Amino acid sequence: MNFDDIEVNSITKHFEDTVAVDDVSMNVARGELFGLLGPNGAGKSTLTKMLCGMINPTSGTIKVGGFNIQDEPMNVRELLGVVPQDIVLYDYMNARENLAFFGKLYGLSGGKLKNRIEELLKFTQLDEKAVRRHISTYSGGMKRRVNIAAALLHEPQVILLDEPTAGLDPKNKLALWEIIQALHKEGRTIMLTTHMMDEAEELCSQVAIMDRGRIIALGSPHQLIKKVKMENTITVVPDKITLKLIEAVKEISGVKRSYRAYDENEEVEALKIITRRAEDVLPEVVSVISSVGIKILSIELSRVTLEDVFILLTGRSLREEEGQL
Amino acid sequence: MKLKRTINQVFAIAKTDFLGIGRNKTAIFFTLIFPLFFLMIIGFTFGTQGTGETGRIQVGTVNLDAKTIYVNGTASQNSTIGDALVQALKDVNFTVYEYDAYGDKDTNGTAAYDISREQIKIAVVMPANFTETLSFQYTDSLGMPIPTKAHFDIYTDPSDPTGSIIAQQSILGFISGFIREYQKIAIDQIPESLQGYAEVLADPITVSTIEADVSGRPLRWIDYMVPGTLGLVLLWSGLNHASVSIASERTKGTFQRMIIAPVSPVTVLAGKVVSCLAIVYLSAAIMLASGILLFQVNLYWNIPAIVLSIFLGALSAIGLGLIISSLAKNEEAANSVAVLISVPLQFFIGAFFPLSIMPQSAQIFGEALPFTKLVNAMQGIMTKNLPFEAIMPEIVYMSISGVILFALGVVAYRLSLKRL
Repeated sequence: MNFDDIEVNSITKHFEDTVAVDDVSMNVARGELFGLLGPNGAGKSTLTKMLCGMINPTSGTIKVGGFNIQDEPMNVRELLGVVPQDIVLYDYMNARENLAFFGKLYGLSGGKLKNRIEELLKFTQLDEKAVRRHISTYSGGMKRRVNIAAALLHEPQVILLDEPTAGLDPKNKLALWEIIQALHKEGRTIMLTTHMMDEAEELCSQVAIMDRGRIIALGSPHQLIKKVKMENTITVVPDKITLKLIEAVKEISGVKRSYRAYDENEEVEALKIITRRAEDVLPEVVSVISSVGIKILSIELSRVTLEDVFILLTGRSLREEEGQL
Repeated sequence: MKLKRTINQVFAIAKTDFLGIGRNKTAIFFTLIFPLFFLMIIGFTFGTQGTGETGRIQVGTVNLDAKTIYVNGTASQNSTIGDALVQALKDVNFTVYEYDAYGDKDTNGTAAYDISREQIKIAVVMPANFTETLSFQYTDSLGMPIPTKAHFDIYTDPSDPTGSIIAQQSILGFISGFIREYQKIAIDQIPESLQGYAEVLADPITVSTIEADVSGRPLRWIDYMVPGTLGLVLLWSGLNHASVSIASERTKGTFQRMIIAPVSPVTVLAGKVVSCLAIVYLSAAIMLASGILLFQVNLYWNIPAIVLSIFLGALSAIGLGLIISSLAKNEEAANSVAVLISVPLQFFIGAFFPLSIMPQSAQIFGEALPFTKLVNAMQGIMTKNLPFEAIMPEIVYMSISGVILFALGVVAYRLSLKRL
């Protein structure tokens, strides 16, 4: 039987005259990796704060692991591991001291705490020399890993990750994605808040897109993209573009339009092909171009992303939103 | 089981807080060393003095007594008494510089010049007829002495009122003693039958100043100062640390991380209070140990009374700190407010300067502070060896103010939980 680890029912949160979260309902099943997407100011952080009991909702109920957070906050906190967006560690202590402190807050002590710290130090991939240094001397990636480890000491069933890869370079970002996937494989329920659509697409089995305090879309990334029914664009840069080539491409089944365009990034003439079935059309396009004796210099497929879904639903891009805030 | 877990959480929070001080050189300085820094500066400057030390007073003498003058139409040059007075000044340990003339501030080698350059604090100008006057050489046509008074001019440095007052009082005291000696000699020279009357007329009121035995031991200034500095400990270690303890956690986000763990806000507060108390007691121990090691202070050690008084005083300091810490927007703001309060307050608690020298309004303000009550209680216990009952008013006052301020601190802390 499917059990929902997180149940949010008609949650609303007012800050004086501002409605930060407006009648939000959603469920996260046990073992699911759930993404909460949206631009800054969408209400993600407020919803996360209510989920971990830091603030109370104006109306509605939240249950975590079957416990109502307002009635049984301590039981909920025992189940939750919260990884804040910022590095929330004591920079004058080393990794082991930080983990010991947070472990004690969760009621761990003695040999159990010691063993758990050693397990998590392995998870952070810090060598013994680094473990003994103060956190202030760590790189961004090292701090992130310890920041996550501090939330896992009590082996929580539900993990809330708030923008876990914000500010990380691509290498560290990928490493952290692997950690999140590993936690998911252990059967933990993970809720990830992010404004990076590629992250949600890569990691999450279910996503909710929030905008201005409301959930405007809910489903798997694939479902949401499919629902949008947007067209894909194949951009081909050949060594020459002829009328005959454009016409030949138009004849391919599934191609809606084909036209010549100037690619400002590459500063070259390009052939744009609009289709809804990019995966089927792409091999045909390559074959047709080769058959007329034209050489392909580059080829690029622009897929529909969750970013496109957001634009379609709100009429704005995520980046515009961030810029305004 | 739950109690054990809570105790572990309280001590984990307190230990982490304590490490935050121990591993931060700036925090160590301002929390633990700064009061000691004050003690050392003032202690080494004034602290070892008892009463009546004159060596640090630089006196300029302009002895015109040796100049030739005309007395009863006859030239006279006698400086016996003037020379005796200068020698007496040297004998009682004033630092004496001798000049030929008072002069003016632009003429090098004169007393006025050295006052303006702060070489001397005071200049005493003795008149040319000093000896002649005091030895009754002015007579009328019948050969009877004409009563003539000698007149001194004393010049002080107006740019240093405090130093000038101390120098002036010392010199006037010296002259008063000199006059008494002179009177005895003069009275000896009149007919024996009149000596008793003359003695009473010349010196109708006698005053003796004797330091009361309040301690059972000879006391120096530093012996009063060291217990007084425990009031500073409350301000610098208690109030300042409590002010930033929660604000800094909130700024870093660690406070929020504690609150979302299965830890009650009361446990977090208890951890912070334990840490603040530990820092106050550590700082107090450093101050007292420094007093013993650096200045060899001679104090009484009623340990239970000292520990209790510090605890009650610390309640007020921590309560006030909690209010600041909970209401301040961030750590920087909390720190600024704490410094703004503690720096001026340290001059009103009677740690370095007695409240009695302050204007009445300042005295009322100072006496209302719980930190002043701790200073009073500590000086009473440690220097006068007063019994516990004698400091009961201070204990009651600190208890009431401690409970009120601490309760207000808890209210402010609860309000701050709504701003997460």
